[in-house]
Amino acid sequence: MKPDMRGETVLEVRDLHTHFFLRRGVVKAVDGVSFSLRRGEVLGLVGESGCGKSLTALSLMRLLPKGGAQTIKGEVLLNGENILERTPAEMREIRGRRISMVLQDPQTSLNPVFSIGDQLREAIVRRKRASHVDVMKEAVEALRRVEIAAPEQRIGQYPHQLSGGMKQRVVGAIAISGEPGVLIADEPTTALDVTIQLQYLKLLKRLQAETGMAILFITHDFGVVGRMCDRVAVMYAGRIVECGPVRQIFEAPQHPSTRALIASVPKMTGPVGRLTTIEGQPPSLMNLPVGCRFASRCPLVEQRCLDAYPAEVRVGDAHTADCWKVTPA
Amino acid sequence: MSVQAHDGGQPLLRVEGVRKHFAFTKGILFAKTLGHVKAVDDVSFDIRAGETLGLVGESGCGKTTTSRMILNLEAPTEGRILLDGEPIHALKGEALKAYRTKVQAVFQDPWSSLNPRMKVGRTIAESLIVNAWGDRARIDERVRELLVQVGLRPEQAQQYPHEFSGGQRQRVALAAALASRPRLIVLDEPVSALDVSIRAQMMNLLKDIQAKDDVAYLLVAHDLATVRHMADHTVVMYLGKIVERAPTAALFDDVRHPYTKALFSAVLVAWPGQAAEEIELRGEVPSPLDPPSGCRFHTRCPYVMAHCSQREPALREVSPDHFVACHLFE
Ligand SMILES: Nc1ncnc2c1ncn2[C@@H]1O[C@H](COP(=O)(O)OP(=O)(O)OP(=O)(O)O)[C@@H](O)[C@H]1O
Ligand SMILES: Nc1ncnc2c1ncn2[C@@H]1O[C@H](COP(=O)(O)OP(=O)(O)OP(=O)(O)O)[C@@H](O)[C@H]1O
Ligand code: SF4
Ligand SMILES: [Mg+2]
Ligand SMILES: [Mg+2]
Repeated sequence: MKPDMRGETVLEVRDLHTHFFLRRGVVKAVDGVSFSLRRGEVLGLVGESGCGKSLTALSLMRLLPKGGAQTIKGEVLLNGENILERTPAEMREIRGRRISMVLQDPQTSLNPVFSIGDQLREAIVRRKRASHVDVMKEAVEALRRVEIAAPEQRIGQYPHQLSGGMKQRVVGAIAISGEPGVLIADEPTTALDVTIQLQYLKLLKRLQAETGMAILFITHDFGVVGRMCDRVAVMYAGRIVECGPVRQIFEAPQHPSTRALIASVPKMTGPVGRLTTIEGQPPSLMNLPVGCRFASRCPLVEQRCLDAYPAEVRVGDAHTADCWKVTPA
Repeated sequence: MSVQAHDGGQPLLRVEGVRKHFAFTKGILFAKTLGHVKAVDDVSFDIRAGETLGLVGESGCGKTTTSRMILNLEAPTEGRILLDGEPIHALKGEALKAYRTKVQAVFQDPWSSLNPRMKVGRTIAESLIVNAWGDRARIDERVRELLVQVGLRPEQAQQYPHEFSGGQRQRVALAAALASRPRLIVLDEPVSALDVSIRAQMMNLLKDIQAKDDVAYLLVAHDLATVRHMADHTVVMYLGKIVERAPTAALFDDVRHPYTKALFSAVLVAWPGQAAEEIELRGEVPSPLDPPSGCRFHTRCPYVMAHCSQREPALREVSPDHFVACHLFE
């Protein structure tokens, strides 16, 4: 989507901090995340496993996992209104209608003792009043939209009777059934084969064109990023370290951690051999360094990288990176 | 269906004409059977020691069901599976216990394989403890070594599964599978939850372990680039059947079956300009409850011919060791 076609900002996240307060210490899983999302836009959120992508998403939904997680700072502005200040009852009204999420793990989002039809119907009924027959029809239609064959028969089945990819599509169907203004999709296609993945992505694009839905798309798959996203944000150890238009991130990544990440992608052509990886490990989120968090693994590291966290540098059009060594635009 | 012939003697694992049909029921207590899902329908392949077999195909085509049968978690409706020439579904008692250490698994969702109430160190040690592999200190040492091997920190042995991210949990599951040095590991989408760097590390790691321990892998994956880098042979399934099977390099060079072509054309590449022409699959995904007659792909095939809906194509060798089930190749 071209910049001029993009609408107003629908979601703005400012300096979000969500930590786990444990007896062992404080896990700073989300530690100063800021980004914004416009109507009709898809923002990709990528980054190494454990860097805080899911927790960022769950913080936006106010669905923090049990066990000491707390959002201690920041603002989440949904159409200008800070939803971190809403009551739990108000949040229940907001979720599903205005902001909706496809959880990373379909297992925990589907209840094993209810049929998938029951779970879809519940999502529909929560949103509007309709006759039983109409709700049934809509539920069947929702399954058909995500390419589930024989939806009339599948609707009576229980989660354990479906394949992994089918469960993921049911979860996806529930999340988009309310046509929310903002959709957070946490790895919604990891369990899907590429043909069904492509159909699902096309469905999201179609919905987006119809309703102007904005999507925060969390994924490890750079092919999906290239296909779906307008912009990408790269996270590392609790913070966004680079953010910019997809093309620029692919063609001229600036932050060394982004470069390392992109170099690890296995290719469909060229020699088959050892894959490039990022040596070392991300720092413990309980014991973060004062300087750049990538410093221990960075090929360009210097003393100042260890001494202080780098400020955000504007490296191009709508393109920023947190690194001492990048050249400002 | 012909069984792959190898000169290298007996395969490690042989899957022979295996079928799995699930009763399709409605309701829990007074379940009514409405029909049968032919999840796996006459599938045969071999895996040799130290080799990786890739298994790909559309969601719901029977890959996990095949894996579960190989793991002896599910019995085939028909056909047999042999490890070192011995039918595995006849195993009982000690022999079955021994089988479970020889054949391990890492599943699609790590949530199902990790006990939420157990520290992950204990989960990793489980198979070692069961088999009295060594004393406490040696087991602890092995657990630390495994954690490092999969890219975690040794002290993380003390944490519970919920304290890990999705990708980290998957690495714990791999460490647990590796612990008893098995002969075959079934990897059902082991890397799809991982970031590209850890994925690359994991793939390198799996290859290193294979080179060292001669372990075989059955790799179920949706990411074809992963299969390309990992697998020696690749099997493509569609709706419970094998439609194409070949050495991986040969398959990626020369895709033959119309379904495999569509599958490969749907691969998304990050760099614009690299993408091939996309083949849009027409028509609805057929239901395994009532699979299409003749060739199961005929309802969506761009090359469909009159007799495709009438006769089922046999799996035939179109070039050395490259098998395709399609009337175009008869
Ligand atoms: N209950 C918990 N207690 C302590 N730490 C936790 C807990 N849940 C998550 N974490 C930590 O928070 C960090 C962020 O987790 P999160 O699930 O957001 O990662 P992610 O970026 O989504 O990773 P992945 O790509 O693997 O899904 C991880 O490093 C994890 O170890
Ligand atoms: N316990 C069960 N009861 C009834 N049907 C089942 C059961 N397990 C699997 N099936 C059905 O068998 C078929 C094959 O499922 P399977 O899980 O093997 O697919 P898959 O190839 O692994 O798919 P995915 O890529 O989505 O994981 C599906 O139609 C599924 O609904
Ligand atoms: S047998 Fe016919 S329908 Fe099936 S894949 Fe070949 S051409 Fe297409
Ligand atoms: Mg996650
Ligand atoms: Mg599966």
